[in-house]
Amino acid sequence: MILVIAEQRGDVLNPVSWETVSAAQQFGDAVKIVVAGDGPFGIAEELAAADVSEVLVVDHPALEPYTSDGFVDAIAQVVRVEQPELVLWPHTYQTRDYAPKLATRLDRVLIPDCTGLKTHDGGRLLIRPMFQGKFVADVRPEGPAPHFASLQIGAFPAVSAVRGTVPAAMRAINVDVDADAIRQQPEKPFKEAKQAVDLTQAERIVAVGRGIKDAEHLPVVQGLAKALDAELAASRPICDSGWLPMDRQVGSSGQTVAPKLYIAIGISGAIQHLVGMKGAKTIVGINKDVDAPIFEVADYGIVGDLFEIVPALTTALGDDEST
Amino acid sequence: MLIVGGGPAGLSAAYQLARLGAERGGEPLTVALLEKAREAGAHMLSGAVLDPSALTELIPDWRERGAPLDVSVCDDRLYFLTTNRQFRSPVTPRPFRNKGNYVISLNRFAKWLTAQVESAGIDVFTGFAGSELLYEDSRVIGVRTGDRGIGRDGVKKSTFEPGVDIHAKVTLLADGVRGNLTKTLVQRFGLDVGRSPQSYAIGIKELWEIPPGRLTSGTVVHTAGYPLQLEEFGGGFIYALGDDCVSVGFVAGLDYRDPLFDPHVAFQRFKRHPLVATLLIDGQMVRYGAKALPEGGWHAIPRCHASGALIIGDAAGFLNSMRLKGIHLAMRSGMCAAEVAFQAVRENDLSATRLGQYGDMIERGPIKKELYPVRNVHQSFAGGFVSGFAFSALSLVTGGWWFRDPMPAHAGHERIRTVADYFGQGHLVEPPTAPVDRTLTFDKLTNVHYSGTRHAEDQPSHLQVKDTDICRTRCMEEYRNPCLRFCPANVYEIVDADAGAGKQLHVNASNCVHCKTCDIMDPYQIINWVPPEGGGGPQYEGM
Amino acid sequence: MKIAVCIKQVVTRDWPLRVAESATWVRDQEASFEMNEPDAYALEEALRLKEKNGAEVVVCAAGPARVSQVIREALARGADRAIHVQSDELAFADANAVAEALATSIRDEGFDVVLTGLQSDDQGFGQTGVILAERMGLPHATIIMEVEVGDGRLRVKRELESGWFQWVSLPTPALLTIQSGINQLRYATLKGIMAAKRKEVRIVTPEGLPTAGHRILKLYVPEKDKATRFIEGPPANAARELVRLLREEARAL
Repeated sequence: MILVIAEQRGDVLNPVSWETVSAAQQFGDAVKIVVAGDGPFGIAEELAAADVSEVLVVDHPALEPYTSDGFVDAIAQVVRVEQPELVLWPHTYQTRDYAPKLATRLDRVLIPDCTGLKTHDGGRLLIRPMFQGKFVADVRPEGPAPHFASLQIGAFPAVSAVRGTVPAAMRAINVDVDADAIRQQPEKPFKEAKQAVDLTQAERIVAVGRGIKDAEHLPVVQGLAKALDAELAASRPICDSGWLPMDRQVGSSGQTVAPKLYIAIGISGAIQHLVGMKGAKTIVGINKDVDAPIFEVADYGIVGDLFEIVPALTTALGDDEST
Repeated sequence: MLIVGGGPAGLSAAYQLARLGAERGGEPLTVALLEKAREAGAHMLSGAVLDPSALTELIPDWRERGAPLDVSVCDDRLYFLTTNRQFRSPVTPRPFRNKGNYVISLNRFAKWLTAQVESAGIDVFTGFAGSELLYEDSRVIGVRTGDRGIGRDGVKKSTFEPGVDIHAKVTLLADGVRGNLTKTLVQRFGLDVGRSPQSYAIGIKELWEIPPGRLTSGTVVHTAGYPLQLEEFGGGFIYALGDDCVSVGFVAGLDYRDPLFDPHVAFQRFKRHPLVATLLIDGQMVRYGAKALPEGGWHAIPRCHASGALIIGDAAGFLNSMRLKGIHLAMRSGMCAAEVAFQAVRENDLSATRLGQYGDMIERGPIKKELYPVRNVHQSFAGGFVSGFAFSALSLVTGGWWFRDPMPAHAGHERIRTVADYFGQGHLVEPPTAPVDRTLTFDKLTNVHYSGTRHAEDQPSHLQVKDTDICRTRCMEEYRNPCLRFCPANVYEIVDADAGAGKQLHVNASNCVHCKTCDIMDPYQIINWVPPEGGGGPQYEGM
Repeated sequence: MKIAVCIKQVVTRDWPLRVAESATWVRDQEASFEMNEPDAYALEEALRLKEKNGAEVVVCAAGPARVSQVIREALARGADRAIHVQSDELAFADANAVAEALATSIRDEGFDVVLTGLQSDDQGFGQTGVILAERMGLPHATIIMEVEVGDGRLRVKRELESGWFQWVSLPTPALLTIQSGINQLRYATLKGIMAAKRKEVRIVTPEGLPTAGHRILKLYVPEKDKATRFIEGPPANAARELVRLLREEARAL
């Protein structure tokens, strides 16, 4: 049985949880989903739409707000009782905060940030990136079950989560959480404009290179970025010339990114740039030179004049939205 | 005592100083060595075939101490190449016989030697560049290290650390070929008055892993001919390092006439020649680098002493351009300088005269003995390959004698011809190219990636171009911007101007591999190479 | 106040690495190494706390002899002394093994604050700090941007996703994993380097490593399994086709 730990904050389900459900379902084993908090019943109902055996509801006042101490304690109890073979989380900041501690408490290891699952030799293998996405490893969990893993955001499409024909059964699980033993005292979360752009968090990136010829042409690319709700990035020469700030640079002297979608516009694909974005899930190259090295890593390519293609793409996305 | 530069010369000087201190006792000397690379050996690049004689003098038990001299030379081969064929020389002339020598990685050698120096109790400070000499009246009293933490715009950042003034009774300049400190010292005291101008070559090298069994470990191959024209100085080399690793490279004199010449292209063409291509095919390039070499020989070596300072190693130009070896001579010069400086400090006489005993030691010792007979070899190639070859062959017998001694010599950047001159007026010629397949041949940018070169991005450019207007006007017209070609690291580019029409120079300073070619070869001599923020530069593992 | 900073030595960022013959690790014998960048930010934070509040900063690192490179650098930047858990196997061991080794060596020191970087540039587990906290029985907080020292307590600013932040209080002793880029890394000065040579580096040999919780069966370069799909046609058509493919085939939209 695979246990999926769904994530919620302020009574709102984090949609990435569906990705984890989808991944678990792929294995064909029985799947149960756990949701924890202070009265997370609405979320449990949402999750019950999935084609899973059960949704386990862990309801305790000490679990709101989230603290690592509280969650480690609560989920550990669930795992001990339910005895799954595999426990899966989405690889979110919250997961990173408490799941490793939980695994250690249960004398296990968490295999984080996995991009794939496969069966091999009768066992399960997890696939995860290493060395900043330069390599990929096939990893086998060792030792007795349960095994723990977290899944990279965006690696398993949420849309594939299979809906059940009838809602899954919901069951309350009692946990004993000593509120006094929780050492963290969190204050209310607040929003703040971040100083620097963090491209590593972006799901979609539109990157521009020398092909743009001049800073005054940047709006062409910015239009596409806006239509895609993507972050704008650039290759080294663009930032060098000051057309975009250095924190938008992708490559060996800038940031290394692995978004779901990376569109490289007018970028030749010098190795210094490629090392910064090769790990992207889907790469599109738009360049007038069919021999440009970017096409060695691109999944899709359009050879042509970016000044015609990019506006056409922006329009096509607009049309696509409205249909 | 301060030594600037952690190459074979500087390290040998340091080690010798430690030895002298231990042997002769007395008040201990404080010795420190500055090296601009992030770690020992990182900026060291050479073919290399080492003559171990100097090492044996310096550290007799080098073998027991694990010196990385693992590959003895077992075979010397000389080839003359044409576009598609090779002609092997049936006879190996004496200077090219390497029995008793070793094929080494200078990077590993420098790492090992640094460890010996540190065990001997001398502090080696990596990541510190010597940015200017300190003077008191006419005496060198030390070195100021470079500032760190200045932004691209010249403004100090919050992490700003000013350069440190290090005072020393004697400063040994071992800052390498076209060393920035040596350059200023020579200028200030006119140390090159009456000497021939120094001439240089650029060496471009790759480290390759090849399928086993192709070349016996310890094989040393040198080539002449293709892809160079007869009027151009240089040639290729292939040294089998063992473990199916080969060092492949090309040396081109930085005194070529053809303004469109591109040493990197020459190297690619060399690799595509059947002799080399059959060796490298299915192999993998694992490292790339380039460095200039001082080729001028004996007559081009300036006066190497001044009040409070001595010049050693490639910075002075102790390289045997016939045998193609400079490491052992660099080491010897370091050892001599250490000897003289040690005594001078003990006697508290740091005058130019006293330190001039270093020059005497060079005169009387093995360095001159080796360099004097080949003093005109490089210059004899000014007339082309045939005259150079003939003279060199003759000099084996005559000990280098010539009617005019020194042979006329010119600084390399003065020999380059304008496009109009070389190709004739109105002739539209394109710079040479070589096909790039990224398995055997590469473009400069890809190559630079394999040099491991890294610099803090947010710092002023360390390539000071005094007048960029010349680049987009006169130079473009006269020479078609040779910096685009002679720089092996794609540092210089001519791009469309930011504002308005025309072109401008764009400098990618962080690609720089510290080879010094631009400082040497730019026809207007407006490029001044200064050390970037300490720690930046290539990472020549295994080179 | 006693602060421990755990640092890791990793292969230099963007070093052209290749898979070893065993296909379970990389060939790093010929590589160049450096301090893991996130850990450098943790060290910088520790040094700032020392400057502001007065503290002893002890840097801890696990791995083979070559790890002394980053230890020396940390000492040169201002750490007071170091603990080197020396073992060759720890070079490629997982976070669990490394955390266990570190925990055994520092448990008895009585640190008030333990800082680690967010994750390492090589394995990227991002867990060593958290596991260490559990092994040492410490409360912890991750992805920390700012640290305020109180009386027996810390108030720290956590980064949450999507531009949200949260202040959290926790009692000392505690462990924090520090976000990268939160401060400017200082240079090691010549004085610092010279002083570093006289600072204590205690070498500890771990007794044994815990059994591995996972095993890398194969390490490989992610190959694009198909060649680039070129989309032909006039711009408007190609654009529409691309959008369709991205939506339906690649599911990237």
